[in-house]
Formats: sequence, structure tokens, C-alpha cells
Amino acid sequence: MHRVNVTLYAAALTFLISGLWWAPSALSAKERPAPSGIPPEKVAAYVYAVIKADRTLYTTEIVNRLQEKGVTTASEHWEQENALMLPAQFLHQSGKLAAESGSGIRYRLISLWPIYRRNAPASDLERNALESLGKNPDLPVSGIVTSGRKQYFQAIYPDLAVSPACISCHNGHRLSPKRDFKLNDVMGGIAITIPLE
Amino acid sequence: MSPAHPPSRAETRWGLQLKLILSMLLVGVVPLMVGLSLAFWQGSREIQVVNGESFKALAEETARKVDLLMSDEVARTSRIAADPSIILQLEQRRDALLDMTEDDRRRAMDRLKGAWEAKDPAAVQAVTGSKMAGIIQEYLSGANSEADQLIPQVVRAATKLLYVTDIEGNLVASLTTIPPFTNEETAWWKGAFHHGVGQIFIEDVHFDERVRTYVISISLPIMDRIRYGAVGVIHRVIDAKELISPSISPIRFGKTGHVMLIDNRGIVISCPILPTGVRLSDAQLIPLVTPLQPGWVSAPSDGHGGQSTSIIGFAPVPETSRATNGDPNFGSWHTFVWQASDELFAPIRHFLTWMAVFSLVAVGLMTSLGYLAAKRIVTPVRRLQKAAQLIGRGELRQPIDIQTGDELQDLADEFNRMNRQLEAAFAGLTDQVAIKTQQVESLLHSTDQILDAVPTPIIMVNQDEQVQYINRVGRDSFQAILDSTKSIPLFDILPVDTTVREHLRKEFGRVRSKEIVATASGAENAALVNTARDPLAPLMETTEPSNRQEIQIGPRRYHYQWFHLAGGNQGKDRIGLVFRDTTDDSRLQDQLIQAEKSGSLGTLTAGIGHELNNPLFGILGLGEAIGEEADLDRVRSYAHDIVQHGRRMAAIIRDFTGVTTRETSDQRQPVHLERELDQAIATLTGSMDASGLTIERTYAGDTCVLALPDQLRQAFTNLLMNAIQAMKGRGTLRLSTSLTETSVVTTIADSGPGIPKQHLSRLFDPFFTTKGQGEGSGLGLTVARRIIKKFGGDIRIESREGSGTSCIVTLPVIPLLPPPQEASCTESTSRSTPQPSPS
Repeated sequence: MHRVNVTLYAAALTFLISGLWWAPSALSAKERPAPSGIPPEKVAAYVYAVIKADRTLYTTEIVNRLQEKGVTTASEHWEQENALMLPAQFLHQSGKLAAESGSGIRYRLISLWPIYRRNAPASDLERNALESLGKNPDLPVSGIVTSGRKQYFQAIYPDLAVSPACISCHNGHRLSPKRDFKLNDVMGGIAITIPLE
Repeated sequence: MSPAHPPSRAETRWGLQLKLILSMLLVGVVPLMVGLSLAFWQGSREIQVVNGESFKALAEETARKVDLLMSDEVARTSRIAADPSIILQLEQRRDALLDMTEDDRRRAMDRLKGAWEAKDPAAVQAVTGSKMAGIIQEYLSGANSEADQLIPQVVRAATKLLYVTDIEGNLVASLTTIPPFTNEETAWWKGAFHHGVGQIFIEDVHFDERVRTYVISISLPIMDRIRYGAVGVIHRVIDAKELISPSISPIRFGKTGHVMLIDNRGIVISCPILPTGVRLSDAQLIPLVTPLQPGWVSAPSDGHGGQSTSIIGFAPVPETSRATNGDPNFGSWHTFVWQASDELFAPIRHFLTWMAVFSLVAVGLMTSLGYLAAKRIVTPVRRLQKAAQLIGRGELRQPIDIQTGDELQDLADEFNRMNRQLEAAFAGLTDQVAIKTQQVESLLHSTDQILDAVPTPIIMVNQDEQVQYINRVGRDSFQAILDSTKSIPLFDILPVDTTVREHLRKEFGRVRSKEIVATASGAENAALVNTARDPLAPLMETTEPSNRQEIQIGPRRYHYQWFHLAGGNQGKDRIGLVFRDTTDDSRLQDQLIQAEKSGSLGTLTAGIGHELNNPLFGILGLGEAIGEEADLDRVRSYAHDIVQHGRRMAAIIRDFTGVTTRETSDQRQPVHLERELDQAIATLTGSMDASGLTIERTYAGDTCVLALPDQLRQAFTNLLMNAIQAMKGRGTLRLSTSLTETSVVTTIADSGPGIPKQHLSRLFDPFFTTKGQGEGSGLGLTVARRIIKKFGGDIRIESREGSGTSCIVTLPVIPLLPPPQEASCTESTSRSTPQPSPS
């Protein structure tokens, strides 16, 4: 778990550094004169790419493969059962680690049908975005949100049922409000929040 | 032997039956015990496993229940934390605080804190009467909650404190005045605020001073409206027992079975028996029951103060544990299912008890059945044993009757057959004994008759000189009446004087101690004969009347003889005394001797003359020859011969004058036997007419004996002269020597007319001769025998009338000597003669 955390941490750092590196070339590509920074949409897109890559890699190459080989299984109570954490938990945990790192970046899984209430959409933007993604998964939603006087950029990307493990868990969980997911359904979204300061 | 026998017999008699019963019991009981033990062991194990698994399942189920309960509580609290107006107020407060400088902020807070702690009504009102406090109160009372989101009464009662802090941990809203103003340093606040990120924090059970009870707490961050960061913390303190007890206390099974909730430190959160907040009594139990996986364990104690082995099921409370103290590694909750082992193992104990009772019944049955079976087997065996004893004593009359139809019956039949055979054998034996007894009696009778018929007195004496038997002649002779009831001492019968009595007593003593068994002569050094003699056998010693044992009893004279009679296997030795009346014999012999002596004086004179004549004539002849002889060497030779003849005459005179008295000192020397024999014959043939004599010599070789040469030659001369005279100078004289291991036997055999039988017994008597007047002295054989006996030998005469006489001389041969002595043996001749030397 620690190793995964470290990996994620490193990935986040790499992303930031590469973002700084790529900023000039991106600007030069657009050939705009002296822009003040990277547009938050792009930052969110980068972050999403990294998160998605990590999550996909974990799901396919670790969870699915080890389950198919019969080595171990993924379970919600992975600590007690000496099993692998679920891919969704993987994303939650990495999001938590990223938040605890103090860099300001936040990302989390949200859904209109969350197993745990804390993962329900927190704002109108999130709720609207999820509804929109349910209809049109290919179009991510983004916008500016405020908390008091603070302003944040938020982008919500769709989260599909990429593996059978996702479906079986959500369809079978005692607390799950929706139990008819199918593979590649939009189960929710990944909300990425970047402070605008 | 006899004292050891009865107990051992008694032991074996009981032993057989006891052994049979014991072996039956062992055969039954040992497998029973083994089976019971195995059943108990296996049963206990299975009870452990079954109960352990059940306890584990129950623990898991209860853990889920607790998890749901806690999830509900967290959810209820989080609904407050998600209230938009609260979030809005806290966002504004955050922004306001961020706008202030550090010093302003601290000052403002210090002021508020002071007012709160001083219970300033305005300050209290600001916290407890604020809009936010109102909202919280509404949530708690359920005033504006949905129907399914009402907080149950029990939960409401259990909630001891509920308050909200801002981003600096300072009190913002509270239902009561109890909470402290500053919470920044508390673990729950740090954990829940989590540097602004926010996370759920459930506090382990602990005693809260303000509410005076054991509590747990749930702290949730209040996130801003976009859930980006925490803007405050809501903190709820709940009475642990009040909250959880309704969920797990009803779970009871049996009398003692129950479920409890503990944390990973082993502190009881809720238990129907133990109070909340205490630690499990056995610290070693805690690591056994608090792993992160559910399971069951057979623990050495029960955690409730008991030390008996207990089956404990346990399971972690998964979701709650994840939030406990912010991290499951720092704290976790566990359910604990336990039932008293007394109760748990009661069924198997009852089973064992019943089995033991039934086993006892079975053992009792086995004992009685075994007793019956053993009795059936042992009874005929005992009858056989008794029958064997009766057979041993020869008292079995009735045949043994055993009808078991098995080997015992066969054995009884064998006993009967054996008994019949023994009876038959005993009957034959009795007849034989009777016959033998008759034979012995008749033998005794005939012995008595024989003894009575013997014409000489015979007395039998026991060891104590008591007369036991006297034959008829004895009774007549000694006027003794032998009373069968009373024994008479020997010397009461024999009327002899004291000296004779003492002598007889001495002899009796010797005979008794078997020193002399037979006719020991009265003389001191007479030859002792060691073999017992038959008293009825003809006496061989009659040739020496002078040695006879004789006593004078009254007017009559008796020759007597002791003999030893060995007792039978039970009788003592007895000594017999045989008498022979020699009164008439002695008188007759005395007369005979007297006559013979007066008659034989002439014979003796003639004999001496004859003996001396031979050498004398030799001397005369040699003297004449010397007178005519010129040759000096020859003269010397003749003179030497004359000396020889003179010595011989001296020897003859010596023999006549004192046969025994003139014996010289014992200067014996090794002598060559054959040479002495040759010399003797040479002397004889030189002086006698031996023209018709043929001499045949058969010598064994050079044989040495230890003797005096002169005397030995004298003995041979006497024997040879007798032989030549017997043949009247014509015939064949055979001389032979032969060696045995220790002696040499010299035989001188003539071809004369032999000796009449009646003369044979008297041949060695002195002066007995068959030769005419002047021909023999009657001393030749006497002298020869005496000489030979002196050298340890003996002479025997064998003769048959008409076919010659053999005189057999036996002498001990000296063992092989070394050469020097051998040399001295060869040239012995006359060097050591006892006579005075001629020189």
C-alpha cells in the first residue's frame, strides 16, 4: 500500500514537473503571446490522464490478472482478508494521499448512486455534470466553483465500469442504491479540483 | 517343604478362578476404557471445533451489526456536517479568520475563550443559542429530519455532547455549556481536521471527566460546499454502553454465552457481564483475540476472571476499525464471543458420566458372568486336583465323574485309567513284599539252625559289649541263658580273670574300630589282615600254633577268633566271637611234639653231620691237592676254595645254633639273582653226584634284588639240594626266572616223584623231613623260607605225586638303578658277608 502511495505521489509530482516543462512548448504551439499560465482545463486533463492510466493499469494488470490466475482476490475489506483493494478504493486512497500531500490538488470519485454517502455529489455543478456525463460520456464537464471567497476550477470526467469487478461489487453491495450496472456503463465521475489562487 | 506347601496350594486354588475373572475383566474393561477415552477426546475436540466455528460466525455477525450501528451513527452525524447553512456559516467564519492578522485572531479567541470559561451569558448565548446550535438541536431532536432519518431515542439519550469547532478548533456551536472552548490540541480534532483534508475519526472508549462516564466519540470534518477542504469539525461524544449495549446485550445463548465488544487494547466497550472500560483480566488473551481476521481460539483463560480453558470466537469490526483513531493500525474494535467451558462441555461431561455409569454396570455384569464362567471351569479342575491328591495317597476308590464333554472329561478319564493301573501295580507289589518277608524269615530261621548245629560256641556282641546271640553249644558251654528282653554283658558270660579280660577288651576295641577284623594273633607285629573272614571258612593259620589266640575257661582251653559283622542298612555293626575247644588238640599235639623231639635228636645230629660233611670233604680233598700241587697259583686257588668251604661250614653251624638270633645287621645290597642261583648249583654239583642231572636254564636276564648274597645263596642251595635229592641225582632240573612289574619269580622244578599230599602242609615245619636218617636236618625249607621272607619275598611249593615238584620263589625286584650301582650289583659275591673276613 505504501509502495502504491509512493508511486502515486511520485506520479503526481512527475505530472506537476512535466506540466511545468510542457507549459512553454504548449504555449509556443498555440503561438499566443505571453500567456499568464496553463489553462486549468489542460491541467485537469493532464491530471485525469495520469489518474486514468494508473487506475487502468491497476485494474487490468493487477486486480484482473491476479484474480484470473487465482493468486488473490480484490475485496472491500482487503485489510482484514489479506486481499487487494478494489480499483475504486485505490482511487479514493490515492486521492486522499494526494490531498494529504498539501499540493492543493483534489480528486475523488463521485456518483449519483454512491455506496457511501460521502461520495455523493457535493455541489450543483457536480450533480449536473454527472447527469450530463450519464447522457454524454465523451464530454467532460468543468467550471469554476467557490467556497466562501475561495475559487476553484473543477472538472468532472466520466468513470466507466471498466471491469467486471466494478459491476459485481456495486450490483451486489448491501448499501448500493443501484444494482443494474453493466460493463462500460457510466457509474459516476472523477471530480478533479484545482484551486485558482 | 511341608510348611510352604499349604499356602501355595491355597493361592493357586484361588488364583485360577481369580485369574480367569481378572482376564475376562481386563479383556472387557481395557477396550472399554480406551474407547471411552478416545470418544471423550474426540467428542471434546469436535465440540471445540463446532462451537469455535459457531462462535466465530456469531462474532462476525455481531461485528457486522456493530459496524452498521456505527455506520448509522456516522451517517447521522455526517448529515449534520453536510448541512449547507452550517457549511456556509463555517466558510464565512473561515474567511473572516483568514482576513484577520495573527495577533487580532489570537486576541479575539482569547477573549471569547475567557468569556466562555467564565460562563459569560453573552458568550454562552453566542455558542449555545446561535443559529448553528439551533440547527444541530433540530437534527438531534429530528424536528426537520425526514421520517427515515430520525435519530432513535436511545441514540439521542446516548449522545452526551455534540458540538462544532471552526478551523482552529475553537468552539462555534454547542448544545450544552460543558464542552471546552479550545480543541486544537486534542487527538480527535487533529485526526478529524487532518490538516484541512478532513477524515472521519472514531475515538476509543475512555472515561470522560465532564460527562462522568465511559464514552466513545465520533468526529467528522465539516467540508466546504465543494468538499475541497475542512472548514470545521463536528464532535459527538456518545455513552459507549448506552449506544452499543442494546445491540449486543440481547445476544445471549445458554446460561453464560454472550458477545462483547472490546478494542485492540483489550478494554471492554460493551459487555453484558463486565463493566465498560475495564481491561480483560488476562493480558495474554488480548493478542489471541484481536487479529484483523475473524476466527476462534481455545484460550487458556476466559477473560472474565476464569482460568479454565475457553473457546472464544472473535472478529474485527471492519469499517469502524478503519476509522478508529484515524487508522486501523492504531486501533480496532473486536467482537468477542464466549461461553463458560463448564457449560460448553457439559454435554460431553454428561455423556461421559452416563458412559461411566453404564461401564460400571457392564463391569459388574462381566464380573458376575466371569465368576459363573470361571466357576464352571474351575469346579471340575478342583475335583481333579482332589482326586489327584487321593491317588497320591492311594485312597481313591470311586472313579472321578466329570461330564463336561471337553478336554477336562478326557483328563478325568485319563486319571481314572491311571488310578486303575496304579492300583494293579500296588497289589502286585504287596504280594512280592509278603513273599520276600517269608524268604527272609526262613533265611533267619535256617541261619539259626545252622549256627545251632555248629559244634563250637559262637557269640554275637553289639558295640556296647552286650551279648545279643549265643548259639546252642555256646549256651551249653557257658551255662548262659539269653533272655530276649535283657541283654547280658559279654564278660558276665566269660568267666576269665582280669588280665585276660583286659586283653580281650583291648582286642574287642580294635575289632570294633575295624583295626583288626579277623584272626589277629596275640603277638604284637603279626601280619594284620584287613579283610573280613568268614568264620566258617577253614582256618589257614593252623600251621603256627604258637600264634593262636587261646584262653582258658574253667578246665577247658579255647581257641577264639573275632569277626566283624557289618550291620545292614539300618542295624549297627556287630562283632562275633567264635570259640574252638582245643583242649584235646593241644594235649595231643604236646604229646606228639614230645615224642618227635626225643626221636629227632638223632635225625638232627645226623643232619648236622651231613651238612658239615660236604664242605669237610671238600677241604680234605683240596688239602691233599695242595700237598701234591707245585703250581703256586693253583695252590692259592685251592686255598681260596678251602676258605670258602670253611665259611660255609661256619654258616651252617650258625644256622643250626641260632636260626633267628644270629641275623646280622641289615646291610643288604643289590644282588644278581641268576648269578647267586648259578653259584649255588655249581657248589652243589661240585660236591654231589650229579652225573645224571640235566640242568635247563631259562633266565629273564640280569635281575637285581636287594639281599644279603650269602643268605640268598644259602636259601637257593637248600631248595636246589632238596630238588636234586628228590631226583636222586637223575633227571631234569629246570631253573627259570621271570619278571613281573615289581617282583621276580624264580622257579626251581624237578622231575622227581613229587610230594605226597599229606606232607604238603607240613613242608615248612622245622625238622620235618622225608629223608632218611643223616640225610636232612628238616631245616632246609624252614631256613629258606625265613630268609626269603626277610627279603620281602615268599616261597610256594607246588607238587603233584609222580610228576615232580616246583618251588616258586617270589622276590621284590629293585627298581632300575643308575650304572654305578648296577656295576656293584654284578660283582657282589662275598664282599659284604657278615662273617669275619678270612684275611
